[in-house]
Amino acid sequence: MDVRLSGITQQFPGTRALSDVTVTFHSYEVHGLIGENGAGKSTLVSVLGGSLQPTAGTVEIGDAPVALASPRDALVRGIAHVSQEGSLVPALTGAENILLGDEPRVAGGVIRRGALRQRAAALVARWFPKVAIDLDRPVGELPMADQKIIEIVRALRGDVSLVILDEPTATLPAREKEQLWDIIRSLPAQGVGVVLISHFLSEIKALSDRITVLRDGRLICTEDAARLDEGALVDMMLRRTGGDTSVRAKAQARAPGPVALAVRDWRVGGVRVPEFTLRAGEIVGLIGLTGSGHFGFARSLYNGSGVTCAAFEVAGQPTFPGPPRTMQQAGIALVPDHRMENALIGDWDLRENLGLVHPEHAATGGVLSRRREEAESSRVMRLLNVKAHSSGQLLRTLSGGNKQKISIGKWLYGAEGRYRVMIFIEPTEGVDIGAKAEIYAEMRRLAETGAAILIASSDLLEIETVAHRAVPFVSLAPGADISRDRFSEATFIAAISGAAA
Amino acid sequence: MSTTAVPTEDRVLGFRKEHVQRYSTLVVLIVMFVVFALTVDRFLTPQNLLNIAQQISMLTIVGCGLTFGFAAREMDLSVGFTVGCAGILVPLLLVAGTPLPLALLAGLGAGVVIGAVNAGLVTLVGIPSLIATLATGSVIFGINFLMTGGRAVYGGLPPAYLWLGQGRVAGIPVLAFFMLAAVLVAWFVMERTVFGRYVYAVGGNQKAAELSGVQVRRYKSAALVVCSVFAVLAGALLAARLGSGQPNAGERYLLDGLATVFIGMTMLRPGTATVLGTFFGALFIGIINNGLNLVGMDTYVQSIVKGLIILAAVAVVSRSTKLQLL
Repeated sequence: MDVRLSGITQQFPGTRALSDVTVTFHSYEVHGLIGENGAGKSTLVSVLGGSLQPTAGTVEIGDAPVALASPRDALVRGIAHVSQEGSLVPALTGAENILLGDEPRVAGGVIRRGALRQRAAALVARWFPKVAIDLDRPVGELPMADQKIIEIVRALRGDVSLVILDEPTATLPAREKEQLWDIIRSLPAQGVGVVLISHFLSEIKALSDRITVLRDGRLICTEDAARLDEGALVDMMLRRTGGDTSVRAKAQARAPGPVALAVRDWRVGGVRVPEFTLRAGEIVGLIGLTGSGHFGFARSLYNGSGVTCAAFEVAGQPTFPGPPRTMQQAGIALVPDHRMENALIGDWDLRENLGLVHPEHAATGGVLSRRREEAESSRVMRLLNVKAHSSGQLLRTLSGGNKQKISIGKWLYGAEGRYRVMIFIEPTEGVDIGAKAEIYAEMRRLAETGAAILIASSDLLEIETVAHRAVPFVSLAPGADISRDRFSEATFIAAISGAAA
Repeated sequence: MSTTAVPTEDRVLGFRKEHVQRYSTLVVLIVMFVVFALTVDRFLTPQNLLNIAQQISMLTIVGCGLTFGFAAREMDLSVGFTVGCAGILVPLLLVAGTPLPLALLAGLGAGVVIGAVNAGLVTLVGIPSLIATLATGSVIFGINFLMTGGRAVYGGLPPAYLWLGQGRVAGIPVLAFFMLAAVLVAWFVMERTVFGRYVYAVGGNQKAAELSGVQVRRYKSAALVVCSVFAVLAGALLAARLGSGQPNAGERYLLDGLATVFIGMTMLRPGTATVLGTFFGALFIGIINNGLNLVGMDTYVQSIVKGLIILAAVAVVSRSTKLQLL
């Protein structure tokens, strides 16, 4: 079955999200969809999935024009949408989630538990015979990849011929991605086409049969994946031509500065770090598999409750690990992952969000000056090239990349050069390529001005791109440093899987 | 840039949706005012308007305090009994011959103590404020009756004290000045100071505030203490207005106070408690009470009407935002 979108235009008040986009999806292919944030990917799949009705254009299934009035309508016609955020009920088991809303019952609405379990297992076995998932445990306790698979099986429980996967691997640790990739690859052979949205170009390239590139709401091209390389994809997404097409501008090796942070025998929740040093001007990447302790270690350097250590020095000053405020006063900053939960306030405007750490910068005797707030937030927004119509815009209306810039900007607002150690956790999660490059450039700028930068990331390419040195974590402890000249995906993977001795 | 554009410009009857959300309650308030003015004889007279101001002044003060709590996402269900507590304690001390400033100071002290107990239960013990203040409210209620034996406190209250609740300056009730001062101070603190910004941060996203170095417990505690302090101010004024200390006079300020905040949350910054919103909320309730009184509607019917209005307000808030109080 083919689904053809022709001349799709989606007009929102004040902005045109899609202009005249025509593309055909087949049930025998994985169709990659790429573009920067705001390029129109989400809008396009919303039209395809029935949750948006286009201003102009037609949707045809087979050769018959159809109107997809709702997601349910789309599902009935064989199009399922697995959204980015996830829609499982954490407290219910895998089996209960797979058949949620379609449980086998006896009269009176009592659920037949045995039959439910059996039917769910049969669905998993039918689609993914090689997968073993515990269907009897609450899904909240399962690995992220298993949760994603359960969501996909649920989407496939009806008569589906096209499934939309929106950033299916975004929340997965590297190890679990492989498993999901196999799943995605196996679908077309079973008569289910995949529309795949992902920020990871390598993933799109590896999985897709054809790739569609969108930019500013327009179709740039639809091509066989084999005929496109990553450089060309980046060019098309960013409208760049010639020159250095790579996001990776190699970091220069530089003489390390004085010690910015030093810990000895640092212990927190099972993680043990005998010795760790960060120097001013250095960008250090922490890598590891899920549960290997690199994220826990990075977080504990900013939120030191529960830490015991033999020594802890920040910029040469002996310090005790303490709650965020103590660490902050010592000169340590944290740009956390999951920015909407951990860093930002969606209902506040950009100015208020930027001033969250140092509101006193624009205040005299505790009284805020609107003018000084405005001046300082404008300065930070210009510095980080935040794309917004004004500092009064609500934060939640920004794209992922711009939100992340605000999360970084909080530590620059009224505090330029104050934080000598800046910790980033998953700094470019859900950030488009253009903003990624800008965030890396900002990290380099901060390092050049004498800050020590620590990045804990599950994106190995990110560490390869921006770090001077990488520290692999294996089973809750750091392994031997990897210097920049030895950087490669192979070295990293060997190191984090414990293979490198 | 398509990356920054948002579909907030949806229009409803030709108005921007954002504006409709922010100001529709205010429009309802104005319409209600106009309807009463046109249909009820004695409504639109200077005397009656000053009456309304006097009637809502204590309510507004309580509401301002509750706004601090709500901004930090904490609720104070003991607020009505706290009003009552000051409304007994201050007259009791005065009747016993305590000088007025000292008696008022004692009332203030009671507010700080009650607020501190609430704050300690919430931030140190970790009991959700909804439950903690429900319990402390019951305790304060009991204390109020123990202090008075359930009887009203009256006789021998100094004229200077009664003037606070009954006097007029240039024809305007002294109470109205207290109300305006409370609103101004609360507004300034919430909107224009670092303190207010932190209180809103704690309520807006506790985790983000914490990771930004805001001392969450400190600001939640402060918000609850401020809430009790506004309540004792209202209580002291209430007894002056009534000319006596009534052990259960404060009770209605819980429900009405919450109502002012909820109505306020439907406007200006929908989903967020704001001082101005609360003030309009108090006006809303004051005008309804007054109008219905003038047309001679039974107080029980008024109670029903008020309950329905609270439901409507909360329904609006819940639809536009995720209303989380526990």
